Amino acid sequence: MNQRLSTAVPYLIAVVILVALPLVLQSYYLSVATMILIFGLFAMSLNVIFGHTGLNSLGHAAFFGTAGYVTGIAIVTYGVKSFWTSAPLGILGAAVTAAIFGIIALRVSGVYFLLVTFALGQLLWTVAEKWNSVTMGRSGFVGIPAPDLGLSFLDLESPVGFYYFVFVVFSVCYYLMARLHRSPFGYALQGIRERESRMRALGYNVWLYKYIAYIVAAVFAGMGGILYAHFNGSIAPSHVGFSTSALGMLMVILGGAGVLWGPVLGAALIILLQGFASLLVPARWPLILGALFVIGVMGFRGGIGLHMVKTVRRVFSRGSNQG
Amino acid sequence: MEAIRVEGLYKSFGGVVATSNVSFKVDVGGRLVIIGPNGAGKSTLFNLLNGQLPLDSGKVFLFGEDVTHLPLHKRAHRGMARSFQLTSLFPELTVMDNMMLALHGLRKSRFNPFRRTGSYSTLRDKGKDLLSLFDLWSKRDEQIKMISYGEQRKLEIALCLASNPRLLLLDEPSAGLTTSERQVVMEMIRNLPPDIAVIIVDHDMDLVFGLANRIIVLHFGQIIAEGTPEEIQAHPKVKEVYMGIEEGNGNA
Amino acid sequence: MAVFTICLLNGASFGCVLFLLSSGLSLVLGLMGILNLAHGVLYMLGAYIGWTIAAHLGYSFWIAALTAGFATGVMGLIMERGFLRRLIGLPNEQVLLTIGFVYIITNICLWIWGSIAKPPFTAKFLTGAFTVVGWPYPYSRVAIIVVGLSVAFGLWWLQEKTRIGAIVRAGMDDREMTKGLGINLELIAGALFFVGAFLAGFAGVIGAQLIGANLGHGLDILLLALIVVVIGGMGSVQGSLVGAMMIGLVDAFGKILFPDFAMFMLYFLMVIVLVIKPTGLLGRKL
Repeated sequence: MNQRLSTAVPYLIAVVILVALPLVLQSYYLSVATMILIFGLFAMSLNVIFGHTGLNSLGHAAFFGTAGYVTGIAIVTYGVKSFWTSAPLGILGAAVTAAIFGIIALRVSGVYFLLVTFALGQLLWTVAEKWNSVTMGRSGFVGIPAPDLGLSFLDLESPVGFYYFVFVVFSVCYYLMARLHRSPFGYALQGIRERESRMRALGYNVWLYKYIAYIVAAVFAGMGGILYAHFNGSIAPSHVGFSTSALGMLMVILGGAGVLWGPVLGAALIILLQGFASLLVPARWPLILGALFVIGVMGFRGGIGLHMVKTVRRVFSRGSNQG
Repeated sequence: MEAIRVEGLYKSFGGVVATSNVSFKVDVGGRLVIIGPNGAGKSTLFNLLNGQLPLDSGKVFLFGEDVTHLPLHKRAHRGMARSFQLTSLFPELTVMDNMMLALHGLRKSRFNPFRRTGSYSTLRDKGKDLLSLFDLWSKRDEQIKMISYGEQRKLEIALCLASNPRLLLLDEPSAGLTTSERQVVMEMIRNLPPDIAVIIVDHDMDLVFGLANRIIVLHFGQIIAEGTPEEIQAHPKVKEVYMGIEEGNGNA
Repeated sequence: MAVFTICLLNGASFGCVLFLLSSGLSLVLGLMGILNLAHGVLYMLGAYIGWTIAAHLGYSFWIAALTAGFATGVMGLIMERGFLRRLIGLPNEQVLLTIGFVYIITNICLWIWGSIAKPPFTAKFLTGAFTVVGWPYPYSRVAIIVVGLSVAFGLWWLQEKTRIGAIVRAGMDDREMTKGLGINLELIAGALFFVGAFLAGFAGVIGAQLIGANLGHGLDILLLALIVVVIGGMGSVQGSLVGAMMIGLVDAFGKILFPDFAMFMLYFLMVIVLVIKPTGLLGRKL
């Protein structure tokens, strides 16, 4: 019982802080917090295939962007009013894309998998750039309004209202991913990461697991993309392509793939740093980002999140040993 | 009733023939040990039986069913389990996690994305029994990379039993173990249920002659001798192949 | 007919630039298993350095090309010695590291040379043109073809006819065995990395005759190089040449025949090749 309590407490504290945030922060900073949750979700979705299953994909943003585009197109071009229709459409878009891409990409592994996922993502990027009639081309698809939930008490046009909306979606997704992580399916993914051959010998259809995980990860990424489209009012080809995929990868690596909330930490770090940089040295932000890549990869093996967990564990066990 | 029957297995890598014209069968309850000098193709043979390597030609029958083209994981569902020569556990996970993965392997529950692994109490009890049998229950929360090599090898075998196999393939179970640990492993194999068929590949002659009721000798991928332990001990070709390779062989 | 010939020549000359760039990428991938995504920014860096030396300061074009190559070669060496070799056996991390360098070097180029693109420049004696099938055809493009094919021949000769080449090929096939023979593969791998990086920067200056220098090149040219490596094959000079020529031709003809679809076609081809024959048309098994 004590163990359950001790794992629940940090979460409770986090929830309280996140819920109380709008009371403390001005709307600009609240937007930053919203962005962190959105990209935290994206990074966590990447972690499902990268951290848990060991599949390194350089094209994950394809699902993030596709869902954003589908949702935007549904609302703006086809006049779909309700979020409860436009969002599932976006998710479906991400899922179908993943279902197709997965079949192609999972035929290979290692460096080839990296290259295929990269190529597939770029393929979609060229579609987004060139298919002007549908996607509005290079400048991005604009004019996406705040989501219409059909709930009158919630004003999603205001930063506070939208923040709570994102917070709820994020929490639901986090919860689902946490359950997945602890489930037999989730453990099987870890087993596949560690020793594929053993998993097969034990009776697991490894390909099927990877395929399902790929689609599940795409669905969560898509959810992030939908939130982003509403948040930004627009979505652009760059959100489908390599640059966003690489950003997500960096968030996972920096924050730590080994802990569930690691990628969110990574997202927070990068977005906050980007905020600072844009104030002080805006032109040098890519340089800093690049340096972060290098430091993150060379220095923090396992990510900052893992280091934090290990430190906390060490502190607490020392305490109990003396008890 | 035969557990496994193979006919005319052939496998080559480029120009190198690893397995040539291998045929044998093992009945339910049988204890077959495959021996042979290093490079004789023993591990390749296991990989062919297991399905990890595709055959160039030949057939594999499992409990009467032709499984030659059946994928690896499906053979596990037909009752085949296998341990690996190079310890093939999940290093970052705990002993209990490893066992739970093995226990879920053939169950529908392995696809459940929602329920906590720890809540499967029947499976947990079975895991506890198996781990206790191998004296590993006390280490259940340790990561694999933290336990000793001997304990890892024991877990390697324990995981095979999780699926209630009807055919067990053990690839060098005694490799890298101390004498006392080998005794423990031998005892465990001896105590395996009599209705399981077991095929073992190993070098330790004590283990080989202590456990086998049939022995096959491989050399350059071919069977050069097959028979009871006594027949093999007296076989001239076997002595010829092993002379100088296994010194200090107390049983020869 | 004239258009066809011009397109052919254009494709061949751009293909040669691509070859110079991709050969390094391909060989490093084949021998060391490292996918160096920073290869594109090395090209770009080379182009900028070449611009400074040749167009801005007025020195000899060929000195500029060689100097730029040397500079990027050193840059590559720093990347490999200082960082990549600490991540041996961690291909994911290696790729991410190179992505970091992409950001860093791109931004440094922005810092030093600003955001306005530099126009194409060439050697003084190369300004002017032949007449080919009734059209003027620049000397510079012909020079590119000559340089490209010469380097290709030189590299091929190194690969097939020299001991070093044999060592590299052996290392690609079986790393452990080669090291076991007492060969200092690390040294040779490092040298190969230098050569690849040198060629990237060199290609940047050569290619600047066609496309100048601009910040978008880091990624654009990388994408093309990746397509070349995938389609032509990893780890061999011939693979890079064939792939580069194919891409050069698709690019040249594509611009005329179906401009909007050209990129899409290339990525599509890349996927198909990766799935059917991952090692590429002429590649070694990885």
